[in-house]
Amino acid sequence: MQKKSENRVKPERVLLYTVIILTSIVMAFPLLFGLAGSISTIEDYVRTPWFPIPYTPTAQNYEIILSGGSDVLLWVRNTLIRAAWYITIPGAIGILGGYALSRLRFRGRDNVFLFLLSSMMMPGIVYMVPTFVMMARMPLAGGNDIFGQGGSGVINQWPALLITGLVNVYYIFMFRQTFATIPIDFEEAARVDGAGTLRCLWSVYLPMLKPVLTVLVIFQFVAIWNDYTWPLFVSTGNPKIWTLSLGFQYLALGGAQRKGLPGSITDYTFVFALATFAILPLIVLYMVMQRFFVEGVQGFAIKG
Amino acid sequence: MAVLSRREKISRWRYRNRHAVEGWLILTPILLYFSFFFFFPVVSNLLLSFTKWSGLSGAPTWVGLANYRRYLTDSTYLQVITNTIVFAILILVIQTALALLIALLLNTKVRGRGLFRSAWYIPTLTSAAIMAQVTAVFIAPSGGVINSVLTSLHLPPVIFYVQVDWMRAIIVVYSVWRGVGGPMLLYLAALQGIHQELYEAAQVDGATSRQLLRYITLPLLVPMTIFVLITGVIGTAQIFEAVLFLSKGGPANQTNVLMLQIFQDAFSNQSLGMASAGSIVLGLILLTFSIVNIRIMSRGSVGN
Repeated sequence: MQKKSENRVKPERVLLYTVIILTSIVMAFPLLFGLAGSISTIEDYVRTPWFPIPYTPTAQNYEIILSGGSDVLLWVRNTLIRAAWYITIPGAIGILGGYALSRLRFRGRDNVFLFLLSSMMMPGIVYMVPTFVMMARMPLAGGNDIFGQGGSGVINQWPALLITGLVNVYYIFMFRQTFATIPIDFEEAARVDGAGTLRCLWSVYLPMLKPVLTVLVIFQFVAIWNDYTWPLFVSTGNPKIWTLSLGFQYLALGGAQRKGLPGSITDYTFVFALATFAILPLIVLYMVMQRFFVEGVQGFAIKG
Repeated sequence: MAVLSRREKISRWRYRNRHAVEGWLILTPILLYFSFFFFFPVVSNLLLSFTKWSGLSGAPTWVGLANYRRYLTDSTYLQVITNTIVFAILILVIQTALALLIALLLNTKVRGRGLFRSAWYIPTLTSAAIMAQVTAVFIAPSGGVINSVLTSLHLPPVIFYVQVDWMRAIIVVYSVWRGVGGPMLLYLAALQGIHQELYEAAQVDGATSRQLLRYITLPLLVPMTIFVLITGVIGTAQIFEAVLFLSKGGPANQTNVLMLQIFQDAFSNQSLGMASAGSIVLGLILLTFSIVNIRIMSRGSVGN
């Protein structure tokens, strides 16, 4: 009797699964649509408007993206340079700042910490416009004189894409909290062996900070890979330094011509291929690092 | 023995004395950078908001509160403020409620939870700019996915771009699609943090599953809800890419939002004073939202 009741499918379970499966499909639909559309020929794509079925799958769109003639690889390179920079520098500053604010004791330390913390409530837009002006008025750059007049400063040049946002108070905070959980004995043992502060940070703490660092790398990479607003502000005029999100809109328009089709046709399959190309690395990253994504998001809640 | 302990004493003394030197060695560059790229822009932004300046040449001229007066009297700017607030609240409420609902469903020991969780979280990883352009393909007037489906069903196509309500709905749906993943993960974490014994004890007392939800689960989720709402509103009130690519603020400025208006004022209208005033207005709206959220939610938890 008991076994029978266990095996019986409860109606509310069926309802539960139906709801979850259907809503999950709805969530995934735009991405699946894009993936299927990206490997369809234009004829196949038009045949079934509700969902493209690639009867004759083609990689033509991806070949165009990856061919030397297109700028996509340059933009990917630019994005990767920015990502590497914005992982290394804010990460290093975060570790050093977190160390100073937790492991070193000196007068004024807690005031510095409060001063830095007070900035976390300020939305980025409150300083974006003046920062843009600072970039444009950078003295002796881009045709500017010593007073920052006459030229365009570092606008549309690499420094504008790399100079802001290097001190990330959230990361300093995150590392400060993590240092506080590590017993000081490890550092003291290393110091007895004659290690200095940098040596301690590198050999003693860095291995222990790995989980937090992984979270930083993942979230910083996703943020920079998708960053759009600031590159739009400061690099629109120079396609050579565009990042992927910025170059995307330009390429999306020219897809049809690249296949020798009349320019008036908007080739949506090409738009989908570009979008899939831009999103795929992040999905792979998520699949491989799923545990760290969950931990990272939860860390934001617990510590932030 | 004695020699060793003295050596240890000396090394500790040197270690302690190094604290202030090393601390300031690390924090001084951080504070300098921070003053230059955060403090200075924030103050300049505030000052610029009282001026009229093209940003291209010449010096700003002081106009007092004129920019703010324009923001609060000019119907165009009032509309932008209203739109921002309406979008922020609508998106925030829908995405938080949906996140809670899905987290509750996924928390009921469903099989394949990782897969469903991925389906709900992956949209968060996508670039707002790129996916907005993919969404634009869905709603394109001719050849767009929705209209192709309508045509194949012999229904009249809808020109979404000229219909305010449709554009508002599309912007909200798109933003919720991208925004629901983070809060969903947070709610899942909070749900897993609730001790199973609480439920067991209540079940012994004869509580129904609805009562468990009402009197145990939901009250215990209040702190997480406060966090989700406060961090969420910072994102939803700064809505930008969705509007830029889906409606460009149209039709007739009726879906325009503050971020887009700031962008247009700074770069198209060459009116940095208005742009700065706009970012102060946006900052104040965010601050108000956060305070109201904390007030309401803390009162709610006391009431229970």
